[in-house]
Amino acid sequence: MDSILECRNLTKYFPGCLALNAVNLSVPKGKIVGLLGPNGSGKTTLIKLINGLLTPDGGELTVRGNKPGVETKKIVSYLPERTYLSDWMDVRTAIDFFGDFYEDFNKAKAYDMLQRLHINPNSRLKTLSKGTKEKVQLILVMSREAQLYVLDEPIGGVDPAARDYILDTILSNYSENASLLLSTHLITDVEKILDEVIFINRGSVVLTSSVDEIREREGKSVDAMFREVFKC
Amino acid sequence: MPWELKPDRPIYAQLIEQLQLMVIAGIYPPGAKLPSVRELAAEAAVNPNTMQRALAKLEEDGLLFSQRTSGRFVTEDAGQIMQTKQNLAEGLVRDFLRSMNRLGYDAQGAVSLLDRVTKEEEQNG
Amino acid sequence: MLGRLMKYEIRATERIFLPLYGLILAFALVNRLLRAFNPEANDWGNLPVNLSAFLNGVTMTVYVLLVVALFVVTFVVTIQRFQKNLLGDEGYLMFTLPVKAHAHIDCRMIVTLMWTVLSLIVSALSIFILSVDESNMRTFSEWCLSMRREFAEHGASSWLILFECVVLLAVSILAGTLQLYAAIAVGNRSARHRQLAACGAYIGFGIVEQIITFGGFNALNGISPDSWLRAWLGGVARSLPNAALLEIALGLFILYCALFGLAFYALTNYLLSRKLNLE
Repeated sequence: MDSILECRNLTKYFPGCLALNAVNLSVPKGKIVGLLGPNGSGKTTLIKLINGLLTPDGGELTVRGNKPGVETKKIVSYLPERTYLSDWMDVRTAIDFFGDFYEDFNKAKAYDMLQRLHINPNSRLKTLSKGTKEKVQLILVMSREAQLYVLDEPIGGVDPAARDYILDTILSNYSENASLLLSTHLITDVEKILDEVIFINRGSVVLTSSVDEIREREGKSVDAMFREVFKC
Repeated sequence: MPWELKPDRPIYAQLIEQLQLMVIAGIYPPGAKLPSVRELAAEAAVNPNTMQRALAKLEEDGLLFSQRTSGRFVTEDAGQIMQTKQNLAEGLVRDFLRSMNRLGYDAQGAVSLLDRVTKEEEQNG
Repeated sequence: MLGRLMKYEIRATERIFLPLYGLILAFALVNRLLRAFNPEANDWGNLPVNLSAFLNGVTMTVYVLLVVALFVVTFVVTIQRFQKNLLGDEGYLMFTLPVKAHAHIDCRMIVTLMWTVLSLIVSALSIFILSVDESNMRTFSEWCLSMRREFAEHGASSWLILFECVVLLAVSILAGTLQLYAAIAVGNRSARHRQLAACGAYIGFGIVEQIITFGGFNALNGISPDSWLRAWLGGVARSLPNAALLEIALGLFILYCALFGLAFYALTNYLLSRKLNLE
């Protein structure tokens, strides 16, 4: 099977709003894909569906042929937009936690990244700044040898140096057997590392293309094109 | 240090140019072994598949060659490198003439201006 | 996997309970020791003047407050661990772990059971420490002897009743906890008024329980429980000793609690696996 994620006619309702409207998309393996769209476009809903945090109302979503469930959670590594670690834990405990539940978790890699960022593994999560907590979460997520990484706004609200570090981590983690889906507003920084982009608006996929195709066809960057397509 | 890449041109085309320049400049001399695709991609801060595409094109053109187990190397063929250098230079000249054209200079005018500026530069040391 | 979930659940909550247990037992001990030096001062009527009596009063008050706090804390923590830690931000971590949704319910309800039972044991132990003295000890050892006699006489029956009481305690704690969880899960479906909806659901469940219970008895035309039992068991009941009736009654209570517990479990599981919507 060459695609890691497949959505066929995927539909999701919320009271008073159709969040996803018969969405069709496919993410092949070994690709870094950007999910781009304004707020309320359905990005987060799609991401939650991939992770089994929501159930579809219509259509189908499969990860490596399986519906979201225990089997898919073993191979999907998710970084949500928010802090999701328990405050009472220290960094070392968080690493043990991930190690206990995920077979593909690489502790050595995690400790190495922590060391390079000068984060003390014995510090309590409660005492860390927001930015540092986010870095710890990123490290935990990227230390898994997963088949699909799903990053929700990984570089929003982070300083430029940290942004570079995050993009660098994503690139150095790249594997031909895994794919990475990232949703973001900050397209300029991220464009060069993407294979493909999916533009989504009001619950429907508006455009799917590779970055270079857009540049060649339109003679402008993906960021510039995004602004055009989603002009207010 | 990420490479200088412009936002409005396809990335892989720019990568090809950058790699060509690096070979011509001797950063990767003839016969030298190139870093892996992933290393190059990380250095350039671009997607590894895009880098792979650029490298494949350069292999096709003959500037690079790969040995299955040992990796990618710059060609030892000095003629090939010279050809690449000439092609790039020609490209620059054509671009120059095109830009001058837009300003209203024809080829003759462009060449005389070129001479004048060159002499000035020499005088100023 | 359940064991691992429980490991972390216990680690998350022990930092609250263990110190509290320690303090309660410590204060009970301190109280007892102070009393040994000032036997008349434990009198709420006249305000004692000397220092140790004063200390005694203070430590006694603190002790009582601590015990009250323990029960409040046990209740609050049970709710928090479900509401905030499972259905809040941490839910994003919990529900993306490769475990089934019901594992989270199992984990939390078992750990809650553990802490509730421990709280009861610690409270009982602290009361014992507080009040232990010669006459109490004598009464207590007499009671133990009489218990031993009862057990020797009635043999299997007493053990069965004891066992059923323990099971009833556990099942009713679990069922009560599940009722809370179900209410919280229902409340979570409302986007803006989660807490209010949860309270409403909890009260709603209580009402439904009452209706079923009294409805059930009314259907028997207001017959009292034990005559109903005898009628239900027919002629057999007449020949059964009271102990057997007690065993059967306890068994029925356990079944009754368990059925409600199962219903709440099923509801909570359904909501968490099919209708999850983290904010």
